[in-house]
Amino acid sequence: MKKTYSLPTTNYRLTIGWLYPDLMSTYGDRGNITVLQKRCEWRGIKTKILQINHETTDQELNTINLLFGGGAQDKEQGIVIESLRKKERALKNLVENNIPCLFVCGSPQLFGKYYEPSEGKRIEGLGIFDMKSIHPGPKKDRLTGNIAARLEIPGFTNTLIVGFENHGGRTRLGHSVKPLAKVLKGYGNNGEDGTEGVIYKNALGSYLHGPLLPKNPEIADWLIQKALEVKYKKEIILSPLDDTLAKKAKEMIAKKLGVKL
Amino acid sequence: MANIFLIYFGKLMSKIFRLLNLGNGSTWPGHIALNLNKNFIKQVLINSKTQIIIVAGTNGKTTTAALIKTALKNNGKKVFQNKSGANLLNGIASSLIVNYNLKGKLDFDFAVFEIDENALPQVLKECSPDYLILLNLFRDQLDRYGEINIVADKWKTAINGLTKKTTLILNADDPQIAYLSKNTETKNLYFGVGAAENINKSTDQAADSDYCPNCGNKLTYKYITFSHLGDWFCNKCHASRPKLSLNNFSIYPLPGIYNKYNTLASVLLLRQTGMKDQDIEESFSNFKPAFGRQEIVKYKGKNVQIFLSKNPTSFNQSYKTISDLKAGVLLIVLNDRIPDGRDISWIWDVDLPGIENFKHILISGDRVYDMALRLEYEEYKSFKTFENLSEAIETGINLVEGKEKLYILPTYSAMLDTRKILTGKKIL
Repeated sequence: MKKTYSLPTTNYRLTIGWLYPDLMSTYGDRGNITVLQKRCEWRGIKTKILQINHETTDQELNTINLLFGGGAQDKEQGIVIESLRKKERALKNLVENNIPCLFVCGSPQLFGKYYEPSEGKRIEGLGIFDMKSIHPGPKKDRLTGNIAARLEIPGFTNTLIVGFENHGGRTRLGHSVKPLAKVLKGYGNNGEDGTEGVIYKNALGSYLHGPLLPKNPEIADWLIQKALEVKYKKEIILSPLDDTLAKKAKEMIAKKLGVKL
Repeated sequence: MANIFLIYFGKLMSKIFRLLNLGNGSTWPGHIALNLNKNFIKQVLINSKTQIIIVAGTNGKTTTAALIKTALKNNGKKVFQNKSGANLLNGIASSLIVNYNLKGKLDFDFAVFEIDENALPQVLKECSPDYLILLNLFRDQLDRYGEINIVADKWKTAINGLTKKTTLILNADDPQIAYLSKNTETKNLYFGVGAAENINKSTDQAADSDYCPNCGNKLTYKYITFSHLGDWFCNKCHASRPKLSLNNFSIYPLPGIYNKYNTLASVLLLRQTGMKDQDIEESFSNFKPAFGRQEIVKYKGKNVQIFLSKNPTSFNQSYKTISDLKAGVLLIVLNDRIPDGRDISWIWDVDLPGIENFKHILISGDRVYDMALRLEYEEYKSFKTFENLSEAIETGINLVEGKEKLYILPTYSAMLDTRKILTGKKIL
């Protein structure tokens, strides 16, 4: 199939914040940034990527229209949380002001109430998500494998999402947040209650790690649409893109797991 | 149980497996021997005069072991090696069984064992090698091994238990590998690449451990050869790349910067065994690559070259090498079976500079559409997808013109499938 991308131009601009790309990139996380950037570009929406690191100021953080955070290895997670605490107020403001966020893999743990790693002290999170995560110790199996789940975002309730999860921590949601999706095959938040991920305002967290967005463009477009709506204070309808390959890749996982699309 | 019985019994079993053509029987005799006597390896090696060389690391084990074996053999030494892929404890036991003679003697000068990253600590408990070559640690199969820091910690503990009998041959350019020699009783030698062709200052996306192994601070590099390898130092605790015992050699039998490291590791070891540079050069110049590692196979009158690409670093390096060779037609085969790692997220960490120069890219494998998506977001348009690998190979062969080669970048199990189609034979 021949593909051409038209490049319309609009006056829309988005600043996409990317949390600690150096420290929070374990499993191809940057795929999410690529997808957000390209899907904006193909629709004529200009993007700027703001790489957030120790030096980033609150003033810069306030310019963010869409925020992404990937997974850190355990050693790096400790470094990240120290630095995040200094930005706590600015980050909380973003979420409270309905800025869409996507946190995948281990990063939602840092934004929950706390995370108890398998060894060492409890890490106090930023408390943005009403949830607690506990690692049951090195003897318990990690929750690893392909996963399929059905989105619970309003308006998307029939959408299947697929990905790969690999986490030791088990997460329990509190009352003031909702799960992102319902698990069909795989483990999700804790392997027990059938919930996967978390949603609070426009902030999403998911254990589906690394490149979540390439195979699940529905979430990418939801984030872009929300970002534009919040920034430009009007209803936005995005022009559709050809997602044939994403659909086929999704089908392949669904088939492997014996799940209906 | 008497070990000599286990050896006879194992030999018999492995004959039967071969006669019945049961393919992957190469680890069974060792598996059974270890079940009957868990000290089998330790006990049979205790009185042996055979020098043991162990090679470990994420990338380059097979090539390095092959370089060493070839050179030692050419120099008149008796050498045996564990079968490729049989790189756990049971693979070592099996290769001992097969190579013990009927008098119950191991009549060899050297044994070269290529060992899986995860199995290395266990293997070092059973056998203390004369030489231990550690090549690198990259992110690979996180679903199976866990994070690389965990692997490095386990290696460190195991290496701390080695004595001065062992010579460590370490890649000084990989900070985590260089650090393994800290406070050990072993004799330590270091190889590294003297100066980089392309001077990079910052690590790429697939880089894994550019943090100081001593204090955790972000490292600074005078230069980077690829990924997180290079001339590193820490501004905070002043740890730095150790002094190199070897940083260059007159001949590199395979292209690619990663093969420079494999070559340097081999040379450093071969010199330790007393081999002269001239003899090393001579055997390297006739070197034939191990299967799937830049191996060239003739198929329907055309040349096909296979570059095993099993993780982001090896994919990046294979891709760079074939781009430098001005490849026109490329086939990428992405599988997600257990030997490949079931998680293919890493394809989003690979870099594809100059992709527009490829005339055609064909994609196949279990996860063909994931790879296709990756190329779509790279805005590369001349790709074709094939659910059937044979069809992909046939199409590739037909697209190759004149003296051009068809280049194939497969993951591990995809490499075995590809080779089977090209040669009509199974390897494992």
